[in-house]
Amino acid sequence: MGIIRSRLFVLVPAIGLAIVFLAETAVAAGRSEPWQMWFQPAASPVMERIIEFHNFIFIIEVLIVVLVLVLMGYIIIRFNAKSNPVPSKTTHNTILEVAWTAVPLLLVIIIAVPSLKLLYYADRIEEGEMTLKVIGNQWYWSYEYPDHGAFAFDSIIIEDENLEPGQPRLLSVDNSVVLPAETNIRLLFTSADVIHNWAVPSLGLKLDAVPGRVNESWVRINSEGDYYGMCSELCGVNHGFMPVHIKAVSKADFAAWVEQAKQEFAGENSNAGVRVAKADTRVR
Amino acid sequence: MASGEKTHPFHMVEPSKWPVVGVLGAFITAIGAVWYMQGGANWVLLAGLAVLFYCMYGWWREVVHEANNGADHTEVVRHGLRMGMVLFIASEVMFFFAFFWAFFNATVPMLSKAAHTVWPPEGVIPLDPFGLPFINTIILLSSGVTVTYAHHMLKLNNHARCADGLFLTVALGLIFTCAQAYEYAHATFGFTDGIYSSTFYLATGFHGFHVIVGTLFLGVCYWRCKLGHFTPEQHVGFEAAAWYWHFVDVVWLFLFGCVYWWGGLGYMHG
Amino acid sequence: MANEATAAHGSHDHHPHGWRRWLYSTNHKDIGTMYIILSIVAAIIGGAMSVLIRLELMYPGIQFITDFQFYNVLVTGHAFLMVFFVVMPAMFGGFGNWFVPLMIGAPDMAFPRMNNISFWLVAAALVLLLISAFTQGGPGTGWTVYPPLSNVEYHPGPAVDLGILSLHLAGASSILGAINLIVTIFNMRAPGMTMHRMPLFVWSILVTAFLLLLAIPVLAGGLTMLLTDRNFGTSFFETSGGGDPILWQHLFWFFGHPEVYIIIIPGFGIISQVISTFSKKPIFGYLGMAYAMVFIGFVGFVVWAHHMYTAGLDADTRAYFVAATLVIAVPTGVKIFSWLATMWGGSLEFPAPMLFACGFIFLFVMGGVTGVALANSGMDLAWHDTYFVVAHFHYVMAIAAVLSIFAGFYYWIGKMSGRQYPKTLAKIHFWMFFIGVNVLFFPQHFLGMAGMPRRIPDYPDNYWGWNYVSSIGALITSISTVLFLFIVWRTFAAGDKVPANQWGEGATTLEWTVDSPAPFHTHEVLPDMTVQAPAE
Ligand code: HEA
Ligand code: HEA
Ligand code: CUA
Ligand SMILES: [Cu+2]
Repeated sequence: MGIIRSRLFVLVPAIGLAIVFLAETAVAAGRSEPWQMWFQPAASPVMERIIEFHNFIFIIEVLIVVLVLVLMGYIIIRFNAKSNPVPSKTTHNTILEVAWTAVPLLLVIIIAVPSLKLLYYADRIEEGEMTLKVIGNQWYWSYEYPDHGAFAFDSIIIEDENLEPGQPRLLSVDNSVVLPAETNIRLLFTSADVIHNWAVPSLGLKLDAVPGRVNESWVRINSEGDYYGMCSELCGVNHGFMPVHIKAVSKADFAAWVEQAKQEFAGENSNAGVRVAKADTRVR
Repeated sequence: MASGEKTHPFHMVEPSKWPVVGVLGAFITAIGAVWYMQGGANWVLLAGLAVLFYCMYGWWREVVHEANNGADHTEVVRHGLRMGMVLFIASEVMFFFAFFWAFFNATVPMLSKAAHTVWPPEGVIPLDPFGLPFINTIILLSSGVTVTYAHHMLKLNNHARCADGLFLTVALGLIFTCAQAYEYAHATFGFTDGIYSSTFYLATGFHGFHVIVGTLFLGVCYWRCKLGHFTPEQHVGFEAAAWYWHFVDVVWLFLFGCVYWWGGLGYMHG
Repeated sequence: MANEATAAHGSHDHHPHGWRRWLYSTNHKDIGTMYIILSIVAAIIGGAMSVLIRLELMYPGIQFITDFQFYNVLVTGHAFLMVFFVVMPAMFGGFGNWFVPLMIGAPDMAFPRMNNISFWLVAAALVLLLISAFTQGGPGTGWTVYPPLSNVEYHPGPAVDLGILSLHLAGASSILGAINLIVTIFNMRAPGMTMHRMPLFVWSILVTAFLLLLAIPVLAGGLTMLLTDRNFGTSFFETSGGGDPILWQHLFWFFGHPEVYIIIIPGFGIISQVISTFSKKPIFGYLGMAYAMVFIGFVGFVVWAHHMYTAGLDADTRAYFVAATLVIAVPTGVKIFSWLATMWGGSLEFPAPMLFACGFIFLFVMGGVTGVALANSGMDLAWHDTYFVVAHFHYVMAIAAVLSIFAGFYYWIGKMSGRQYPKTLAKIHFWMFFIGVNVLFFPQHFLGMAGMPRRIPDYPDNYWGWNYVSSIGALITSISTVLFLFIVWRTFAAGDKVPANQWGEGATTLEWTVDSPAPFHTHEVLPDMTVQAPAE
């Protein structure tokens, strides 16, 4: 407790200052900002549509909450015992009762239609120009590029003390996953041990990596840049420490990186394969 | 409203030690089970179960006394007891629902991506449904008849015949259990041989467990029938046992239809 | 009436004394009281755990929880305690036991002895859960206990098994309690107390009991499979043996979604009583209110997979679950608007229970609309497993459900103890709690929007701001809880005596016709309701 108290006095201003400073300098895309209250800016068509849909449903929600609040405020003022000493005995009003059943039903339908559209859009596997295979492990991600010679590598968090300037804490990894921008990418997820979840908020991506199954999704990254995410399914002790870092580059740069990566990760290829195979035949 | 005079038809149960004894038993059983599963000795588990059985014995003895004292189990109370039994059976149905879900999850691709396209999975030789399982079906169905017979005889106030019917039912129940044990002992797949075994043994195993409980319940009714506890009007214990038995029967029909017969089709044709 | 007579003969028959009175109890009031005490004890432990969570999350970096498994155990234990050992015992076991017989004019529960085992089973389950949390690493699985993480490879040791057995006992208790309350309600109503005259609290308990009766056994089945997977080599959730980890999620959520209505529906009942009493008006649209709960309970069984939108279910399945889930907004809306219409035209008074009830309506709608937002599978991609979900369910559970518990507590404590709670302090308690929980949980919406995952002991530095605010809220809330405990103590130590009906003309249900504190036995002469119509 002593630690907490002392930090309370030292850390608050220190971090406050640091954040003001960071907010000035940080690149705004691909991860959250201090005091952020809203979605991260969309960097994929799916996320654009999620935000669009949210803007729509948000208005409905706010209106409902405000309606209830205003009604209640009015009732409290108008019908408190001082203003209204004699209570009425009304207990029925068919028109009202039908209205407050029908209107919400209508609202629900109005919500459902674009909601289902979004669902199918996000689910649709576009004609993939390439495939990325994502494998969850306790507690890091492995990536495989089956269309580019099937090289594979692990992507492990960088400990706080090894961070280089500019690398965000808990989000940076040793080998980021490099993907071409403006490309329809098919994503395959599986896991070598427990269930993990590969999530990148700014891309509207989130899908479980389940052992023994392959889940499929897709992404199209709008522009080059760094996109961060974190494992989003409790997977054990270090669940909070298996981030996702996507480096989106131009197609040309991607091709160049592939060539270099093939060399660099040549040895690891078999490794990841073995791990997956092992996962499938794990015996108790 | 003089003291002690009851002005309503309900049963105000006296304080009883049995609930806490039961909880103590359950707690010791739980701790003992964990210890045993972790590779420890089993005597804590057994002690816990002993306390549980002691509780059941004492508790039900109390209930039987109350049923026989002529005052506590009024028409209204009996109505409540019957309702309670029906609700309990409803919850039991949902318990089996979970195991059937597991079974269909493994066999129906529409329900799960992990469902097996070949069922029984390769390498599993299922039991022939029209061998012992079919005989068992007949045994259980006949036991349903005998228990209904006993009920009718009870309503006609024919205690001897009622006892005969119950005796037959209990006997059929025991035969069923033995047949099931034989089947387990001679099955070609073991308990730990994958999802087929898991769904098969837990679903039929829990059913078997319910058969044993039902047999005991009917056995108690047999004994109570002999002692003349039941009257044509008042025999809630009997009715509860009979309903429970019918429930066990129906679960078996589903097991037979789904797990043994339908679940074996893939093998016979493939 | 009947009550004076019973009061005069208060302890005519074997009124047990000393420890036997509690241990061997077959009295619905004593058992209800024990449930409430257990609930408060569990709330202190579960609340303390949540404060530890919030202290850890107050700043980025590791504060004092260096063992991340311990963090996960805290989260798991906190959730289990709050759900199974605080809210359910308080509402269903506590208030349900106390007031269902009183309200329907029955002398006790249908199965008083079984009632007792229901309580002591929860007590044993609580002990098992606490043992579980402190054995060999504890269960760091979250309250959802998803395999493979909860399987023996990843959680060896007895902790998870103890947790499973704890839930088994708590579940058995709930099933027995549910049977007991259903039979009591169906079979023991006073003459003239027809189903359509029952107070809405009784209706709410009836619906809840059915949810428990039908949902808990499915969890029990799943837990049994998990137990045999862990210890006896079965493969229900084991990929290697041809099993399927997603099966667990179906079984768990088939139980889990009804479970969240088990938590809130008794709250609906309490709020209905309180609103009607302090508006001095009968409930508006009584039948609609009763059947809305029935409908919510029914639909609650067919929406479970909205917790599994990112598990890899195919799009058509998810589309169905989106539609089914959205439908629940309609009957819930009926309830909200009927409460408002009950207040409309009333002569409103605002003692503590009414403040809590008004807070409930507003904040439940807050939590409800975020639920409706989450129901959209497409958008849930952005929110699943983030603090947005945490904010949603704390608004409906830790705020709405707990507000209704407090409303019920202040509403009925006079009846239960015969003592008046300190009125001003109770209002202060309300405002502190109200402000505290909003400061605590509202910013979590922002964190979720910005993408912060749940169940992590440390977070990227940019999430710091709202986490800090949230932790401050947790501190305010816990101070308000200390105040609540003080209020409880004050009530018993120095509260004024209260009359049979302390709330006046608005309080029309039967519990207000018996003395305060309610005598050991009540309604020994069944009240005749054939002439009065209490609920209409
Ligand atoms: C008391 C508990 C409680 C209650 C009442 C609810 C109520 C609802 N919940 Fe919630 N929920 C939880 C407890 C609860 N929930 C918990 C514990 C979790 C997380 C579990 C975990 O993962 O650990 C969760 C998670 C959860 C999810 C999964 C999110 C995710 O993990 O990705 C979803 C998705 O559909 C959801 C939806 C809903 C809906 C639609 C309602 C509806 O019932 C709400 C209905 C109410 C209203 C809508 C407000 C009043 C209505 C009106 C004023 C009428 C007009 C309104 C409209 C037309 C919109 N909930
Ligand atoms: C009813 C349920 C309930 C309640 C009341 C609470 C209350 C609180 N919760 Fe709870 N919480 C959950 C259910 C609940 N929670 C669940 C299900 C999870 C998910 C777990 C998981 O991920 O697996 C969770 C997770 C969770 C997290 C996320 C952890 C993570 O993902 O890493 C956090 C973090 O801030 C948190 C904080 C708090 C705080 C500060 C309170 C404070 O409000 C606490 C203050 C309140 C009290 C001290 C007690 C209040 C009084 C009573 C409840 C009634 C008393 C009784 C009578 C009057 C009879 N909770
Ligand atoms: Cu991997 Cu959480
Ligand atoms: Cu739900």
